[in-house]
Amino acid sequence: MKKLFFITFLLIASNSFAQFHKTYDWAEKPVLHEITNEEAKESSIAILKKSIVEYKQSEITGNIKVYETTHNIFRVNDDKGIGQHNQVYIPMRRVKKIKDIKARTINKDGKITNLNEDNIKKIENVEEYGDFQIFAIEGAEKGSEIEILYTVEKDFSPFGTESLQFDYPVKSSEMVFITNGLSGYIKVYNTEQEFERTYLDNNLVEELVIHDIPKVVEEDYATPNANIIYVAYQCFGNPNLKQEDLWNNTVGNIASSFFPENISKVALEEVKNTIMKGQSEDITLFKKANILENYVKSNYTVIDNQNEQLEDINYILKNKTASEFGIIKAYAQFLKAMAIDYEVVVTANRFEHRFDTEFYNPNAFREFLIYIPKIKQYIIPNRIDYRLSEAPSNILGNNGVFINKDVEYYFAKIIQNDPNYSHIKRVMDISFSDDFDKTVVEEYQEYSGHWGIQNRAFMALTTGEQRADFEDYLTGSGIEDKKVINMELENDSMDQTEYNLPYIVKSTIESSALLEEAGDSYIFQIGKIIGIQSELYQERERVHPIEMQYPNQYNYTITVDIPENYAVEGLESLVINKKLEKEGEVLCKWDSNYKMEGNKLVITIEESYYVNEYSIEDYKEFREVINAASDFNKAAILFSEK
Amino acid sequence: MKKILLIILLFCQYLTAQNTINFETEDYYYINRSEYLKIDLNKGKFNIEKSVLENAKYNTANKLFFANDFIHFDSFTEIKDIEAYTETSNSKIKVDHFETKDQFGGSVFFSDQQSINFVFPAVSKNATTTLKYKEIIKDPHFLGSFRFGTYVPTKEASFTVEVPKNVELGYKAFNLDKVDITFDKKETKKSTIYTWKAQNIGDYRKDEKSLSILKYLPHIIVHIKNYNYKNEEKPVLNNVKDLYAWYSSLINQIKDSDLTEVKSIADDLVKDLKSDTEKAKTIFNWVQDNIRYIAFEDGLGGFIPRDAASVCNKRYGDCKDMANILFVMLNHVGLEAYHTWIGTRDRPYSYYEVPTPIVDNHMITAVMIDGKPIFLDATDSYVPFGMPSSFTQSKEALIGLNDDEFKIIKVPIMGKEKSTTLIESTLSLKDNSLVAHEKRTMKGYDMVDFIYDAKFKKDDKTNEEYLNNKYKIGNNKTTYSNIDLGTLDITEDSYTISYDLEINNYAKKIGSKIFLNLNIEKPLSDDILLPEKERFGKKIDHKYNRIYKTTFIIPDGYVVKSLPKKIENLQEEYGFSITFEQYNNKITVYKNIYFNTLEIENEQFEKYNTFIKTLIKAYKKSIVLEKQQ
Repeated sequence: MKKLFFITFLLIASNSFAQFHKTYDWAEKPVLHEITNEEAKESSIAILKKSIVEYKQSEITGNIKVYETTHNIFRVNDDKGIGQHNQVYIPMRRVKKIKDIKARTINKDGKITNLNEDNIKKIENVEEYGDFQIFAIEGAEKGSEIEILYTVEKDFSPFGTESLQFDYPVKSSEMVFITNGLSGYIKVYNTEQEFERTYLDNNLVEELVIHDIPKVVEEDYATPNANIIYVAYQCFGNPNLKQEDLWNNTVGNIASSFFPENISKVALEEVKNTIMKGQSEDITLFKKANILENYVKSNYTVIDNQNEQLEDINYILKNKTASEFGIIKAYAQFLKAMAIDYEVVVTANRFEHRFDTEFYNPNAFREFLIYIPKIKQYIIPNRIDYRLSEAPSNILGNNGVFINKDVEYYFAKIIQNDPNYSHIKRVMDISFSDDFDKTVVEEYQEYSGHWGIQNRAFMALTTGEQRADFEDYLTGSGIEDKKVINMELENDSMDQTEYNLPYIVKSTIESSALLEEAGDSYIFQIGKIIGIQSELYQERERVHPIEMQYPNQYNYTITVDIPENYAVEGLESLVINKKLEKEGEVLCKWDSNYKMEGNKLVITIEESYYVNEYSIEDYKEFREVINAASDFNKAAILFSEK
Repeated sequence: MKKILLIILLFCQYLTAQNTINFETEDYYYINRSEYLKIDLNKGKFNIEKSVLENAKYNTANKLFFANDFIHFDSFTEIKDIEAYTETSNSKIKVDHFETKDQFGGSVFFSDQQSINFVFPAVSKNATTTLKYKEIIKDPHFLGSFRFGTYVPTKEASFTVEVPKNVELGYKAFNLDKVDITFDKKETKKSTIYTWKAQNIGDYRKDEKSLSILKYLPHIIVHIKNYNYKNEEKPVLNNVKDLYAWYSSLINQIKDSDLTEVKSIADDLVKDLKSDTEKAKTIFNWVQDNIRYIAFEDGLGGFIPRDAASVCNKRYGDCKDMANILFVMLNHVGLEAYHTWIGTRDRPYSYYEVPTPIVDNHMITAVMIDGKPIFLDATDSYVPFGMPSSFTQSKEALIGLNDDEFKIIKVPIMGKEKSTTLIESTLSLKDNSLVAHEKRTMKGYDMVDFIYDAKFKKDDKTNEEYLNNKYKIGNNKTTYSNIDLGTLDITEDSYTISYDLEINNYAKKIGSKIFLNLNIEKPLSDDILLPEKERFGKKIDHKYNRIYKTTFIIPDGYVVKSLPKKIENLQEEYGFSITFEQYNNKITVYKNIYFNTLEIENEQFEKYNTFIKTLIKAYKKSIVLEKQQ
């Protein structure tokens, strides 16, 4: 959620220095910079990424102005590198004035091409991002340096953030924070380095210089975007303001919006005549909350748009359309009318941003959840695919501010209440056609927790190819000539009112690709029936700590009818035991084993991830557990004639 | 009373085997979509107005997000008189807020496309929504088309065109045999009214892997052929000649400027070159290498190339800019080169059938070498000289010879030999692991695809992960080492990469026997086509030929107990053969897989699937080794 809370503060008089951005300029004669051989192998690198944020209070009016200067120099080494930097978008949100857009390239031979200002184009009202000025860099070739410099004057906001890590390496990252005597704070994340106080033109500023920031590395089971180096800052006129005051102010704002004193007549009637119609008084709280959520999600449209009317509760109740912020107001009306105690949680997607409870930063207020404390379950208002549940994977594990109806708030990590919430149980019976041409797999599956919720949503909301792909997943992906003979679903409606009812899939498939001929014998690719498994690679050292979607478990029971007159061999590849254990506690494991019961081979697998966060030191063991599944996926056994 | 004479000239109805659609099981569908296109001619000036009506129904609450709607337009059109509302059993609520937004993002850097966005209020189960608006078409060249189907099913769709008697309408219908349709032509005193009505139309959604949806979707393209003004017949788009005359007038609007630098670069590039081929190739490669493709869509400016000097200075341009700078440079060094218009493969139209700008969406350059055209598309940075960009193969190229003359030539489809990949591997057993050294030498489009993939799609994946995902050798648990992906620049006619592989637990050792499948790479084994998934055929980007030469070294002390027999299935469109040969302590597998077609239509799925099944069966054959006593 991009909703920001703007808070006004008392302004106090300030001192007077010349504005730094006015004198800041690029080198009159640019020269190509030296780069190392390693840097030359990258598609592009930033030689310099500099941003100067300057707050300045007018002595006459007392108004505070904000200037942001961006100065970047990129070396582009190949066509991909040129493509990374040759299209420039300057967001104009909050921008009052844009001054001096300058851009130039210097090629390998020292030829300079300056941007023709006539080629700067304006685009307006783009999705939810506002206006932009855009231009393409002129004269860029392989080996060129692209330099861009501009300053914008923005509407005053006491808060801001700046990313310092990108999908290309940065040789020198510089950030200068100038408050011209106003009280301000700045904090840098995900690096050991700190801001230093220094003098620039006799003006005390905060400066951060970091050399050689590596590019963002994407990894599986990780939150790379939340781990990037970035800066958050605050600057306001009132020197006495504490972080606590900022939180209090926000909580006050939220409480007045989300904990209404009065219930609108329309909402009361909707509850009485529609939502609770025909329901007995003594239904469980879980069912009650679920009925409400199903109702809202079947009758209200939530859109990513910040028009004011979409936050006006009367408009919302009439038009049944709300912004992501506004819809909470509708829930609040109904919850209160239905006498359900709730809290509102403000947090962020953990894959994008790690919520800091110490340094107030409204840019982090991106997700708004409703928490029902008595049953420890969440309503996620902007997710049409979700229903009352434990916190979904994009939220789980992040910190959040919990606010209750008494306008009290507390910070807490958003955790999973039931450790066994998400579970997959699979029972398979396997037989073969007489001529050893076909394998038949009869399967019964139960998906609980997040698995169940996601499966229901996928089957209800997707169509065409996406849905076909999902059906393929439900019946075992990666089986080459699989033919689905039969598939039945149970408990598949998205609107469930019973706590954690499993989603059930019963299927029969046929495949001839699972059996390979080898002389008079047959190799049975038994591992393939568990579907394609993810694989973690070790080619380079792990960068990010491990974060899985959510704790989850799988249990398989696979029974194979050994054909008459055949002996089965090579069963040892079915036995795999891997685990990650810390201080006597198993954090995750893979156990697969088998036994013979007459002419039946019975394989059992238990794959469990009891927690969803693992430290980077445990990567090796974690990887072994994850890869055990893909190892099993390759297991094959041999049938040879007796 | 005004007497209106109605004459039904033509009435026809196709009854087809279209499956009945059960609209009640759809989450969301169109009850009715209709357009009324009214063309007026007033004192020699056209007034063209299209009235659009869309009436949709929500059967469930699963897809309420369709309430978020928009109307696209660009600088050739203007939208007015919008009315939108939701109706439920007891209410009618109007949309009260419309927002105009610029389009942005995707592959186009700057575009004149805009949209009017709005949200239907209070949609829920059983609600219906209605949208009405008028679209003013400012330029008579852009009447466009009407599609009877869209992303969700449509119960009824109709398209009406009303033209005054002094205007001649051209139209061409596509795929109408796939739906129940009626056509009606009425004459009134002043105008002719054409009406097409269709019912029960399925959903049509674009899919990257499918053939162009326009090959299946029922639709009609209309254009103004001529009009009579002051007793004079004036052409608009009567035939290709008219279309070309218009294009030619646009090309003539290229602003000339100082071409000294462009010319000097061209001179410099060819100064030591003798043959026309070498010259053309060198200039083409220079533009591929030095001018970056950045897409602009900007009104008529979208049809007029920017002058070569500014493109050269800026080092970027869109397709027409790149085509024009090639045109200038090639002509300057004495070669015969022409501006060329073309549609990519997703526009399955012919200039002869519909002489309108809907046919093309791209511009290239044709250079004549020894009297034959070579098609140059520098927006593809890696395509070898002499080969067209793969997405223009088979398409009509409209080559502008001079202000008045043009030629239409079909871009040839490159034969499979042009895109041959040779995969040479040496395999041996180390304990239970299979180890291999492999070298892949790629040509043509296989080479181009690899370079694009490795450069732009590899993202941040390690080389090992990338290769594992791409080739899926020996199932996805393969360890790669000594990976050499080369410079990812094309300098030769072929491109070679190499690596070593280790596949754990690949061989099955049981008793004295070893069972081993030497098909470590199984291309196409997951390519069974399901009609419910691939509803609009399968698109093949280019013809290709893959040759595998796999040599396995038999471990000491083992003899070959069983060697699979040769299997082949050689057809005109596609085929394979796998042959096992033993020579001393080596087994060599020769595998050839080829594709000799660019399209597999739905009717051919069964045949294709049978082919794939024989291929899967062939892949299943293992060799058996036995320890010598």
